This record gives sequence, structure tokens and C-alpha cells, in this order.
Amino acid sequence: MSENETQEGAGSGELTRKELVTRAGQVGAGIVVGGALVGPAAAATGGRRAPTPKRGGKLTFALEQDPVFLAPFGQILTSGHWGKEPIYDSLLEWDRKLEVQPALAESYTTPNDTTYVFKLRRGVRFHNGKELTAEDVKYSFDLQAAPPLPGSVAVLGQFPAIDRVEIVNKYSVRILMKRPDASLIGYLAWGRYSPIVPVDLYKQINPVTQAIGTGPFRLETFIPNDRVDLVRNPRFWKRGQPYLDALTLKTLPDEQARVAAIRSGAIDGATFLYDAARNLATDRNLNVLRGPTAAFRELQMTLKGERKPWHDKRVRQAVSAALNRQDMTFRVYGGNGRPSGHIPPGYGPYPYPVADLRNNYLKFDLTKARALMAAAGQRNGFSVTMSTFSTPQDFPALASVIKSQLAQIGIDVRIEAQEPGTFAANNGRGNFEWDLTARGMRGDPNGYVAEFGPASPAYKAWYEGGWDRPDLTRLIERGIATVNQRQRTAIYRQIQRILFDEMVQVPLVSVNKFQVFRKPVKNMYVAFTDFNTGLRSAWLDR
Amino acid sequence: MFRNIVQRFLLVIPTLVGISLVIFLMVRLLPGNVVDVLTGGDVTITEEQRVTIRGQLGLDGSYPGQYFDWVGGMLSGDPGNSFRSGEPIGDILVRALPVTIELIILAILIAVLVGIPLGVVSAARRDSAHDYASRIGGLIGVSIPNFWLATLLLLVSSQVFNWVPSFSYVSIFDDPVANLGQMILPALSISVFTMAIVMRMVRATMLEVLGQDYVRTARAKGVPRRGVVYRHALRNALIPVVTVVGFEIGVLISGAAIVEIIFGLPGVGYTLLQAIFNRDYPLIQTTTMLVATTFIVFNLLVDLLYGVLDPRISQE
Repeated sequence: MSENETQEGAGSGELTRKELVTRAGQVGAGIVVGGALVGPAAAATGGRRAPTPKRGGKLTFALEQDPVFLAPFGQILTSGHWGKEPIYDSLLEWDRKLEVQPALAESYTTPNDTTYVFKLRRGVRFHNGKELTAEDVKYSFDLQAAPPLPGSVAVLGQFPAIDRVEIVNKYSVRILMKRPDASLIGYLAWGRYSPIVPVDLYKQINPVTQAIGTGPFRLETFIPNDRVDLVRNPRFWKRGQPYLDALTLKTLPDEQARVAAIRSGAIDGATFLYDAARNLATDRNLNVLRGPTAAFRELQMTLKGERKPWHDKRVRQAVSAALNRQDMTFRVYGGNGRPSGHIPPGYGPYPYPVADLRNNYLKFDLTKARALMAAAGQRNGFSVTMSTFSTPQDFPALASVIKSQLAQIGIDVRIEAQEPGTFAANNGRGNFEWDLTARGMRGDPNGYVAEFGPASPAYKAWYEGGWDRPDLTRLIERGIATVNQRQRTAIYRQIQRILFDEMVQVPLVSVNKFQVFRKPVKNMYVAFTDFNTGLRSAWLDR
Repeated sequence: MFRNIVQRFLLVIPTLVGISLVIFLMVRLLPGNVVDVLTGGDVTITEEQRVTIRGQLGLDGSYPGQYFDWVGGMLSGDPGNSFRSGEPIGDILVRALPVTIELIILAILIAVLVGIPLGVVSAARRDSAHDYASRIGGLIGVSIPNFWLATLLLLVSSQVFNWVPSFSYVSIFDDPVANLGQMILPALSISVFTMAIVMRMVRATMLEVLGQDYVRTARAKGVPRRGVVYRHALRNALIPVVTVVGFEIGVLISGAAIVEIIFGLPGVGYTLLQAIFNRDYPLIQTTTMLVATTFIVFNLLVDLLYGVLDPRISQE
């Protein structure tokens, strides 16, 4: 590959073929959840001065899955947000380093633990020309709390403890919480479930295929299973942006079709698995970007009902010690990943450094693993069924590696690959022995640990009656109620230490995501959130 | 003849009822229901929220109730809304149908226009180099999976010609040239199997017909070879081909599903597969009924046409 472009952000970067083959992930993302806003959203600086963006042009980006609908509220699947992401804004936003920045709100104050007052940016216009006011914000929060069809109340699991939203004046709103809940800021900055729409949006348009937001792009057409055509919003509140005249999001589920399309120039960018990205790195017309995401793989065990060998903590610890995560990363992901704890590396200050995981908490130690098995009376091992997703392909491959590694301590793992819908159903109901599964982005660290507390429906499905740690429950409750960043970090570190000891879920590896763009596409990055946020400010050097 | 047609039409009704029951039950027997898909495996969902979602989707009633609601809706022209997008299913199918119909028509045209001449030449010049080439081509044609061929065509065209069809669907009525440009590779991908079948069928029936007395008579009367082959032999040899093409509609529809995904064409097959992944019950049921009905209707038409082409059959 030729000249390297300066890449900014959470560890994303352009890669050469050699690097793709040999390097593992290195850089983490910073996140500041809670606290004051840190000034206007500005591009972070890379190693050298960024070139001046050029205006104009149309960019076509291929999506792996269809967004299905554009309704702003109640869409739980990540792919369902890809279509509406360039259209809507929230009160706050994360920048590419995952630092909280002002968006539709200029600033906020917290008079007490349960009150937030947001001052709105003045002069912001929706795509239909209407000015943004506090009324729109209240309307939007009301719908977030009760998503209309085709949205689903399923998203309410992510909704913070908001009691009500009050209009202070035309440009200020007050959010009153039922109890102290630090997840509010992350919820707003993520934007996934918190877009702001004009009052009576659902009466004005069909929100399934139409949209009115304040985002950088205005919807022109949405054809389900085909494409989302967007055009530049000339009144976007970030002056001068977006740089593109038009953006098309084309659904192309078949990876080989995306390969052919990007090689020929039919599309300008897309997401690829590691193998395809490696092959595309040889094309001098393309840039391969790599970045860490919140997605990490983990081995999950049920601890309820009939007593099984892994009800003994020593067996679970043995399983973790017998798993060679570095080997997994190289055999399945070509070295593009790193060990992950229960909060993925890159998620701000909360996770333990990768070195700590590798050398201490998740250290590969076969001798220790065998000793733990012996101490638990399982010297001869046991058999267990491990379910996993049949697709994406890395799950069955990873399952095979786990099977071979655990065979060394006498555990016979029977792999059962299930269609994703079936897997989700069984997992949600606790109908499994072991699951090889994945976790994704969360708006707040609490989202990664809440399931270990008895208040969570997941706890009831997976652990009720078989496992309990009251001290952990108390820490989880303290974590969500604590606003101070330093105190929160200490609490979530303590929670993770307990989880490393209990190992009811055995975290494995965090894997990198690859996106490939044609050379003229600039200012793109792989977003940690698994969204395609870079498209909002990308430009074409033509 | 009329009685025969009425009988055939009446037989269609229990067939469709049976299919509707099987489809209705099968989608509900799939592990992982639409609530699981809608919640994306989110483990924070409470049982109360699950119940609410089921109520919103109309899944809280009994199975017979749900079945009759759906069938009643279909008969009245309103099969309901998609569980996932909330869009009326009629609108979804109106958008998707033209894509698939065009794809299948193009595939049949390619299969017939290439398969018949190849079969004729192969039969007329039996055991020649042409014949061997056509037979080997036919063997390959029935052996190649269409998804593999589609991927191959796509990669070869991008690597060798630096060209791929446009991935944003354009209607034939808006821009016929652009439309044909993007439909030709998908149509070719799914036509190859049918093309090979047609070629082999034409060859086999032509060989049989060419040995018939009336063909010998025509030759003896001095009819030129071309006239014997095309006017006397081919006309009769085409009767079984009509049947084969009719039955191949089902194969083409199933092939279209995969090929539409590969080429990003928003047709019925693509819609159906997405609906299955999403456990979108009413969309799965209605789309499958549509495909099944199409298949049945084509079979019926083929049977009737067969009687027209060969009056002995209807007399029997």
C-alpha cells in the first residue's frame, strides 16, 4: 500500500498487508462518561496536520445488513441504526475518541443527584425547516420511554431511570431521575436510543420509510432491502459540515459482492472480515482501516438447576486458565485482537489494562488449570455441550479452538452451532450448558455488569438459585448511583476483580473490525461503537 | 375439456389450504420467535416486556385465531403488516415482485434462447464435436450451484473487466439500459441450470422425433434438412420442453433468492430470506403463499397448455 493517511481516533488506522498479517490490536479508546462537556466537537489531531477537507461528491457505503426501518425509537439491533445514524442527533455525542461532546445541547448542569438541566443549542433546524426547541426534546424523550410501533419496548432495558422531562424555557429542559443514575450521559452520547425529533413526527410522516432529523444528511429515499439515499443538510448545526453532497447506504449482505463492488468502484467503502480485508490490502486503490470495537467474545456458563462440575468455582477458574487467548487470536483472527475482560479494552478507564489481563487475571497457565481441576475432584474431566452462533464464521472456528484447548484438562466440549435466532432464544432463557457468545457496545459500564445482579432478568435465567455474590450486587448498585468518575472507575475495577475470581462468564478476546475504502475517501475511521459514525464527516479527495 | 379445467382449478383450493396450514405451523415451530429477534438476545428484557411485545404483534391469541386472522386478511387483500418494519405486506410485495418477475423472465429467455438451439444442433449432429461440447456443457450446467456461479461471475467481472453491475436497483421503466445492465449477470447465474435441462431435453426428444416415420417420410419427399429439423421435428420436440420450463419456475424462484442477495437486488427471494431471519411471521407466510401459488398456477397452466399443444392428452 502506498502513502499512509493520518488516522485519528480510537486505535483505528490504515494497515499494510504485512501489518494485517503480523500485528495485533494495540490502542484503546478513551471515554469520559459523565462530567462536564469538553468544548466544541473538534477533530482530534493525528501525527501530522490533517489536510483541508474538500466539499462535494457522493459516497456509497455498503451495509452488511438491511436497516429494515428508519423509525427513530425502539430499534434494538445495531444494523437497524445504520440507516438513520446520519439523519438524527442526540443532546450529546461521542467523538471518535469516545469523549462526550456537546451536540444539540450546548451544556448541562446537575443541581442535584437526580436532576439534569440541558441548555439547547440555538438556531438548530430540522430537515423540514422547523427550529429545535425544548418541546421537541420533551416529545422525543416521551417516545423514547414508550417506543411506538414498529419500535419495540425491548429497548427499554437500556433506558435510564428518567422519571420525567420538564420544559424550563424554549431552549432548556430539565430531566428528573427516579434515582441517581449515572448511565444517563452515556445513553445520550451514544445516541442509539436517544435521537431528538420534531414534535408530532409520527403524525407528520411514516417513520418507517421517512425521517426528519437535525443530522448532517437529509433522507431522500429509503428502499428496504436495497438502499438509503441521503443528501447534504445545508443547515447542519456543525458549520461547514457535512462535506459530501450525497451519501448512499447500499445493503449488500454477501461479502464477495462487496469485494467485487469495492474493487470495481461500484461502492466506496464497506466492512469486511479479516480474510477479505487482507486480500483487499493488496489493491493499490484501496485503504484498509482497522479499529477495536466494543465487541468481545466470551464463554458463558449456566449455574442453576442440577449441579454440574462447573458449579465449583475452581473448575471455572481452571477453564479460564486453560484457555490460551493469544493462540485463539492468531488462529481465528490472524492476530487482530487482544484479551478482553468483562468490560472490553478501550472502554475508557474502566477495564483493566491488557497487560494485566494477559499476565495476571487471564493468564494462560495449564499447570494451574490441571491443579484446580484435580482440587475440584475433576481430574478426569467431564463432557459439556457448548452452543454458539452458526454465523458469523468466527464463532464455530473459535469454538473448535476452545474445544482443543480444554481437551488438555480433560474437558470434552461438544460444539452445537445454532442459527442466530435460535441461539438468542436459548441464551435469553438460559437453555444451555455453555454458550460461546459475544457482547457489544453499551452506553455505560453498568451495561456490562448489571446481569450479574439478582435484579436483572438475565440473572434469573442464568444463575438464580445456583450462584450469588451479595457483595457484588451491592457494588453494582453503587456503580450505577455514583456519578464521580474516579469513584466509578474504582467500583467497576473492584467488580471486575470479583468476576475474574468467580468466572461465571469467562471473557475471551476483543476483536478488531476492518473497513475498506477507496483511496479518495478521507477522514473515515472505524468507530468503537460498531456504528459508521465517520460517514458524517468523511470527504472525498477528488 | 372445460370440465377438465374446472376440476383442475377446484383441486388447487385444498392444495392452497394445505400449504397455508403447513406454512403457518412451520414458522411457529422455528426455534427462536420474533420476540427473541426483536430483542436481539438482550438479556435485560423482562417477561412483562415480552408479553407486551407479543400483544403488540398480535401473537397473544390462539393459533387458530391467528391463522384465521391471517387467511381472512389475505382473502380480503390485506395480509397485515410486517412485524419488523410495520410496513403493509402488500406494499413490500408490490415493490419486490417486479424485480423477481423480471429476473425470472430474463432467466427463462436466456435458458430457452440458448438451450433450444444447442439441443437442436446437438441432436442434428449427433456424436459430432458440437454434440460432445453441448453435452459436456449441459453436464456442467446442471452441476454448478447458482450461488457459486453468481459469485464467480461477479468476481471475474470486477477483476478482469473492472466492472460490476450497478448495485442500486433501477426499474426497467425508468432506465431500461441500466436495468438490463444490472440484471444480466444475476439472470445468467440462475438460468444456467434451466438452460442445461432444456438443452438435454431438446436433444433427447429431437433424437426420438428424428427417428419417427413422419420425419423419414418428409426426408423421402425431399424436404430440405433444415426444414425437416425445424418444421417437422422441432415443433413436436418442444412439447416436453414446455413442461420442463413450467416446472423450472420453482427452481428459478429458489435460485433467485440466493442470487438476489448476492447482487443486492430487492426481490421476493431476498425479502423472504430476510423475513425468515427476522422471524417476520406474516411476511414469511404471505410471501411463501405467493410463491407456492405461483408455482401451482404455472403447473396448472403447463398442464392446460400441454393439452392444447397435444390434443390427445386432453382427450385422454
